[in-house]
Amino acid sequence: MDVYAGTVGVLQTWLFEAVVQPVLFATGLIGLDELAFGATEWFILGALQVLLLFIVLRPLETWRPAERWTDRQGVGVDVLYTLLHRLGMVPLAFFALLTPIADSLEGWTRLHGFMPWNVEDWWPGFAEHPFATFMAYLLVLDFSEYARHRLQHRLDLWWALHALHHSQKRMSFWTDDRNHLLDDLLQAVWLACLALLIGVSPAQFVGIVIFTRSIESLSHANVDLSFGRVGERLLVSPRFHRLHHAVGTGHEGAHRGCNFGVLFPIWDMLFGTARWQGSIEPTGVRNQDQGADYGRGFLAQQWLGIVRVAAVLRGRSL
Amino acid sequence: MLFNRSMIQRILPRIFVWALVAALGQAGLAMAGETLIVLNSGDATLSLIDRETRKTIGLVNTGKEPHHLMATPDDRSLIVASSAANELLFVDPRTGEVQRRIRDIADPYQIGYSPDRKWFVANAFRLNHVDLYSAADFALVKRIPLGKLPSHLAFDRASRFVFVTLQDSRKLAAIDLATQTVAWELEVGDTPAGVWMTPDDRYLLVGVMGSGDVAVVDWRTREVVKRIATDRGAHNFQALGDGRHVFVSNRSANTVSLIDQQTLSVVKSFKTPSGPDCMEVSADRKELWLTARWARKVAVIDIETGQLKFTIPVGRSPHGLFFMSHAPRV
Repeated sequence: MDVYAGTVGVLQTWLFEAVVQPVLFATGLIGLDELAFGATEWFILGALQVLLLFIVLRPLETWRPAERWTDRQGVGVDVLYTLLHRLGMVPLAFFALLTPIADSLEGWTRLHGFMPWNVEDWWPGFAEHPFATFMAYLLVLDFSEYARHRLQHRLDLWWALHALHHSQKRMSFWTDDRNHLLDDLLQAVWLACLALLIGVSPAQFVGIVIFTRSIESLSHANVDLSFGRVGERLLVSPRFHRLHHAVGTGHEGAHRGCNFGVLFPIWDMLFGTARWQGSIEPTGVRNQDQGADYGRGFLAQQWLGIVRVAAVLRGRSL
Repeated sequence: MLFNRSMIQRILPRIFVWALVAALGQAGLAMAGETLIVLNSGDATLSLIDRETRKTIGLVNTGKEPHHLMATPDDRSLIVASSAANELLFVDPRTGEVQRRIRDIADPYQIGYSPDRKWFVANAFRLNHVDLYSAADFALVKRIPLGKLPSHLAFDRASRFVFVTLQDSRKLAAIDLATQTVAWELEVGDTPAGVWMTPDDRYLLVGVMGSGDVAVVDWRTREVVKRIATDRGAHNFQALGDGRHVFVSNRSANTVSLIDQQTLSVVKSFKTPSGPDCMEVSADRKELWLTARWARKVAVIDIETGQLKFTIPVGRSPHGLFFMSHAPRV
């Protein structure tokens, strides 16, 4: 922890004092200084994470690619998505948008006597064991993400947005954040509702969020990598998740896809949506072969997502 | 002869050794010193630090998002208010040992006992209401919706009112404790935070973060009668303990100002590490101990010279701090 305080902590203090705090003061937003100080840490961690992922995963993709590409056309826009998310721009926008609503709603529930069911209250003395509560939050959040992911595929309206994520035919470690902004917004609302129900995650979660996002980047990487018979069942691997993105399996069948798990495959195993076998198949959405256009640039992709939503609302299938 | 020479020669060295051991033991106890308790908001922990050796001797987990702590009126407990956990954690102020938890205290941010010890008040900073609890059993008596971000609080000497700063509404609100209603609200400036009653019960001092000054409020006439220029981010107060002076931390400027409450003017200013917030003054009034929020440190300032004596590394976003042998709170 001393190393962390001496590196990230020092950088955070410097950046906050040199840039963030003067801007807050000049714009009359100094009351947000505590939040902004925390956001500065997220920004630094996000930047370091992107750098580290690039250093580790990019050579891995070159060394053991799942697919060999003649060029990397179409990957660049995913880099933009990654930077927008991991450097905090998109989370910050949603925070500003949703926090007043969530706080008002929470305030209203308190005024009417409702308290959230904090995970720490599930067992007597649970709060005294931070590692246990931490693991409980991790499992609950991972299950919640599994459930949300199932809905993204199950509900046509949501799939109209989520299909953008699946439309990448050159899936790489940059692809994890390739999402429609409305899809991201729905995720933020989903998590805010969960927080209203079970309380917010502990502060130590910062580290695990970074770890989780790293695993998610790895699982999208263009790497032929499996964690072995046992490991594949413990943690989502690139091989496991590539099946989820494969044309013909990623959004097909009774469950409208397979391998929905984000961090732990256990949920897919429990609910019968896990698939282990299969060769490495091309990624993408089946209707792309019939000419469906998901756009090449960021703005085009966002616009076409809205067009697809409008089409579903008009009763057309995708 | 009761003691012969050989006996004296044998016993004297032993007595000397025992005395030495006893003296060293005493000295050791003194060196062990008392415990400084620091609330790390960003980590949801309490750092227990030996004040003499400045070493961290323990870590206590608190509820989520703890922000402020205060001693109970009898000094038997230190209460930690954990806003996101909706709970109060009671610890031994000497050892940091957990005594008990009280659940279902909604979003407690700043907390306080009325001087008559009848009321326990908790500001729900994020959820925009103030809760009045019976101090005897922590039963909720009244939940009062207020303006935006009720932050810090103070009482008048007669426990008739609790005064609450509303950070995003630019106001100071007075709640009548007898009727449990909002008596009045007064605009005091951009982002008011800490609020402090002068020892003569005459004025309220309000740290106005946005304009970097302290608003002097005559709460009986309900008007701002003066503004004391301190520094950017005027935030929180702590008495020097002489019945006359009070410190205000200027969180954005990294300074602390000492205000004379009789002349209502700044008499001294000190530089501090980054983000000074809550403060504690040693019983001899020679040292000012403060949390440096953005530096993850506790800083100790020599009050006479204004020089930084030393710092102690603690957790993320250290907020409240406490030790038993502090100066009087006036």
